[in-house]
Amino acid sequence: MPNPTNGLRKRVFNAVRAISEIFKARGSEYIELELRELENIFALIVMGSFIGLPSPPTTVSLRLLPHMGRELLIMSSVSRRLDDMLGEMAGLFDIT
Amino acid sequence: MSTRKLEKPSFPIYFFMGKGGVGKTTSSAAFALYLAKLGKKVLIVSLDPAHNLGDVLGIKLGEKHAQVAENLWASEIDFDKMVRDYMRSLADKVKDMYGYLKIFNLEGYVDTLRYSPGVEEHATLEKIKEIITLNQRKWSYEVVVFDTPPTGLTVRIMALPTITLVWLDKLMELRLAILGRRKMLERFTGERPKVVMGGKEVEVATEPEEDPVYRELKAMREEVMWLKGILTDPAVTSVVMVVNPEVLPVLEAERACAFLRRVGVPVKHVIVNKVLRLTSVPEELKEKVREEEEALKLIEEKFQGLARHEIPYLPWEPRGADKLMRVAEYLRGMFGGLEGK
Repeated sequence: MPNPTNGLRKRVFNAVRAISEIFKARGSEYIELELRELENIFALIVMGSFIGLPSPPTTVSLRLLPHMGRELLIMSSVSRRLDDMLGEMAGLFDIT
Repeated sequence: MSTRKLEKPSFPIYFFMGKGGVGKTTSSAAFALYLAKLGKKVLIVSLDPAHNLGDVLGIKLGEKHAQVAENLWASEIDFDKMVRDYMRSLADKVKDMYGYLKIFNLEGYVDTLRYSPGVEEHATLEKIKEIITLNQRKWSYEVVVFDTPPTGLTVRIMALPTITLVWLDKLMELRLAILGRRKMLERFTGERPKVVMGGKEVEVATEPEEDPVYRELKAMREEVMWLKGILTDPAVTSVVMVVNPEVLPVLEAERACAFLRRVGVPVKHVIVNKVLRLTSVPEELKEKVREEEEALKLIEEKFQGLARHEIPYLPWEPRGADKLMRVAEYLRGMFGGLEGK
């Protein structure tokens, strides 16, 4: 005869795992956002002279530029979404 | 140019600085010539965009080292070419890497950068670095003397390593924070963050050793630390401030010295050039002589701790080797420690 406790244990375990996956996904979303913002800030600092910000010596900017493909893509994508940062934050925190 | 494996230079380096027209070129040329007569193998380089080192030495000069006397070689750096070459080497690398990203109009950005503030300072500093490195690896001059641009530009050049280090340290700190977040994501999701570049999906680095940006920052820091180590080492570098006995050049020189001391560059000598020493003072020059006395008192007050050398107002133009040797007699106090080494 099947042990009802085993079935219950399995359901509890699956539920805990599902919740853990949800938290993990939410946690990684926050880290992704932080990462994206840090990379955006890094690109802004290095290329700051282009938009009137105090920037590092030109040598530093130019020597880093060849390695900053990802950061440039992030910077341009963030700047495109700047019009609706509130909407983006609302989406991230599930505010409706 | 890689400087990573270089030791500090074993040869002294002199920078002659001062307001335009005070006599930097004459003093530096006289100093270099005298050292050459003492038997030292000397290179004197003019970094001043308004060169007159060749005029003072009485010989046409270019970038290539020309022997102007026994043991003395001289060159004048083509300033515009130096800046162009410097920007081109950086720009070519950027354009190669970003050929497929023309949507950012990076070509236009990089070509415009040659007009950015600070480019001349960087290009000049790169040239100084190149000369020091080549002398260690190849040329073997025993003394290198730089005749520098006017104070404003030279002071900014000397301050560059310190300023650059501040930026590099902050950027490295930020980069480590970025790599830390990437590592966290890798642990969470089980795979590295990716980016699509040039139509291909590429994994990004999560460790400092793998990250090309961090490696470039680290390499730049090592180069800057090496150069800063040289410019701030009193056993290697000496700044010679040249002034005239007038209040304005003295005040400018004093501010320059204070700034150089703050960034650790050793100022050791002050040369007071064109001092009027008249046995009898004509009526028309009494005011001038009085102002000069005032300036000389100011020099004594402002440049305490520096060795002072005076060159009188000469009744002849100090051009050519013979006359420069006569000028050098007034600088004998600068050669202690160099004679007989």
